[in-house]
Amino acid sequence: MSLPRLRAAASFTKKGAAAPPRKKLKVPRLFIFLCLSPWLFGIIFFTAYPMVSSFYQSFTKFNLIESPKWVGLDNFHRMFFEDDDFWKALKNTIWISAISIPLRITFAIFTAWVLTKPKRGSSIYRTIFFLPSMVPAVAGTMAFTYIFNPAYGPVNKLLEAIGIKEPPFWFLDPQWSKWGLILLGLWGIGDTMIIFLAGLLDVPKSLYEAAELEGASGWQSFRYITLPMMTPVIFFSGVTGVIGSFQYFTQAYVASGQVNDYSHSMYFYATHIYFSAFKAYEMGYASALAWVLLVITLLCTLVILKTQKRWVHYPNGSLFK
Amino acid sequence: MKKRLFASFAVVAMVAGSLVAASSASQAASRTVVVWSPYQGGNLDLWNAAIKRIETANPGLSVTSVGNIDMAKSLAAINAGNGPDISVSNGNGNLGWFCGTGAWQKLNTLIAGPNGINMSATFNAAAVASSISNHVRCALPLYSEVFAFYFNKDLLAKAGFTNPPKTTNELLAYSQKLTTFNSDGSIKTAGFLPWAGYYGFDMDSMWLGQMFGAKWYGGNQAAAFASDPRWTKAFTWQHDFIAKVFGGGNFDKGSKLLVKFVAARGGEWGADHDFMTGRVAMKWDANWMGPMFCDPDGWAMVDLAKCPSKLNFGIAGFPVSAENSAAYGSGVVGQGQMGISKGSKNVKDAWIVLKGLATDTKLNAAWDSANGSPSSLLAKAARPSTSADWYLPIYDITSNPKSAYHVVKNTGEHLEESMLQNLMASWQAGDTANIKSALSDLAKKVDQIVVRNN
Repeated sequence: MSLPRLRAAASFTKKGAAAPPRKKLKVPRLFIFLCLSPWLFGIIFFTAYPMVSSFYQSFTKFNLIESPKWVGLDNFHRMFFEDDDFWKALKNTIWISAISIPLRITFAIFTAWVLTKPKRGSSIYRTIFFLPSMVPAVAGTMAFTYIFNPAYGPVNKLLEAIGIKEPPFWFLDPQWSKWGLILLGLWGIGDTMIIFLAGLLDVPKSLYEAAELEGASGWQSFRYITLPMMTPVIFFSGVTGVIGSFQYFTQAYVASGQVNDYSHSMYFYATHIYFSAFKAYEMGYASALAWVLLVITLLCTLVILKTQKRWVHYPNGSLFK
Repeated sequence: MKKRLFASFAVVAMVAGSLVAASSASQAASRTVVVWSPYQGGNLDLWNAAIKRIETANPGLSVTSVGNIDMAKSLAAINAGNGPDISVSNGNGNLGWFCGTGAWQKLNTLIAGPNGINMSATFNAAAVASSISNHVRCALPLYSEVFAFYFNKDLLAKAGFTNPPKTTNELLAYSQKLTTFNSDGSIKTAGFLPWAGYYGFDMDSMWLGQMFGAKWYGGNQAAAFASDPRWTKAFTWQHDFIAKVFGGGNFDKGSKLLVKFVAARGGEWGADHDFMTGRVAMKWDANWMGPMFCDPDGWAMVDLAKCPSKLNFGIAGFPVSAENSAAYGSGVVGQGQMGISKGSKNVKDAWIVLKGLATDTKLNAAWDSANGSPSSLLAKAARPSTSADWYLPIYDITSNPKSAYHVVKNTGEHLEESMLQNLMASWQAGDTANIKSALSDLAKKVDQIVVRNN
């Protein structure tokens, strides 16, 4: 049934058979307020107030001890025209977003697709693939710096055994350190994979049966049925991936602490905010950085939202019309 | 009438009595000094025993001691206006921050006052110099942190050396003889590693500078990384060292071999430390590593006098460059620092406690004995009565007039140290082509930070 017909059907139901009037629930307003109060308290004191406060602080020089001093747009001017670390952090963040988000999505789709295949023991396989995502980020990162240690790590031992004479130094080499983080991210793909798996299992089997009858190959089924049906999930993963990658911190911070990241090859935007706030004690500047991050993330998300009409297929119409 | 008069007297007496009681209670309350420190366990016990001594010596003075508080918590509390009267910073690095922002009050008037301290007659030269930032003295020193030169006597003797190297040239020659390679060309044992990130607590660049007598700030108070040619000399020496000792004249080869060698180092705290296994024969290190090398299993709070080392090692001043020969016998010496917080309502009593803790010879001797952290006090009573032989040179280095920490400025959490360390690491990896211009860029950045924070 096409979308206009669905809408027409809906409007007919409205006019033709009016729904019975809703019964007004007699719940005291105070009770409603009490139920909402934990959330209200949280949003006011732990979200709204810090946001307003950090917005004000972004126009100040504030070192935690002395009162904030109004400096107008100085923090933003410094960020764009004087701070090399800002550009380095931004460049690194864009790099990790551009590489890791498509890789994570591709890898998650592929893993999920493979996991739909086994006829027996599928839940065991799913658990095994999901498990790494439950490992705390710090522990996972420390394990990876050990596994990829160029001197005694098993990865380089294996690479040497298969004939690669000079395997990379991974986290110890600025050219390779970010790839180490990408591999770490792919290892912990379970959370994204499980969403794709749910999406794959939700694709009606009748579509595949019809395609089979029409003589479609496996690739054609994937290209013209699976992929379009998965676009809402890809879209969702893309949006959350962009938001998450711009806040990328823990793994990079732990890995650079384990090795000597002198070149700041693992210095990301969130790390720059952290260092500005808690190492340089420049809360005003850190607040300005945080607000610019919000704007960048918002813009990227808006771009994805705007383009989704062209490539996201909603079987029942878009949620964002 | 008599009854009325008596009753009136009684009421007046009661009111007066309660007023006096209230006044003395408030006086007692106002004589409470709150001290926050990062200490825990046995160290906190020693600290609290010193506080008890101060309370006993000053009747009416009450001290509330809270341990296990790090600097971030202290800073946040001072900022919020509910900080302690006294807080403690481990190491000199953050002194610039505490002084420069006013988190700790200026002590100049109290030091020069009637209950003051003659600093140079009480503390060693490094401690007197180190508790100042931007000409403001806002702290008193506690124990010293001494960074010195450790050498494995057996390995040196095996190579034919009876004494530790005294100059940077000797250090290179010793290392060439002590460094051995595996059949695949990788490094088996190293003489010495002038390498940022090989243990070292991110202070290798500071120690390298000390060997060459390089200054951190010039007379004009600007960063001296570019203006003091000794920095360029120090880094050039490091470059040559890597090429000659590890790369057979090829820097890139030596650098790559060292990355792998450093990546395979043993754990820092335990018997598999490279210095203990003989993987490295000589190294820069901190005083507190002495007890660890002495007893890797039970080094924490060990009684140094009862700790004859299983490893035959010695401690000496850093080898120095030819131009810096007068500084031989010195090392980098910093201190634990403590100050009176901004907003303290009882500065007079806080000063009594601050001075009492800084000059308590019993506390200093006990800490020294337990941690291998020598006192900053000149008084002999501040030393334990007996010490292991291997530990004695630490005292000479601590009191050497050329021993020092670099001048400290308000650069946040000692950002200039980490920036210099990053430059050293980049240089040793071959990623910085021109050390002169890199040092010049560093100086500009540090100056920018200092200007911004002042």
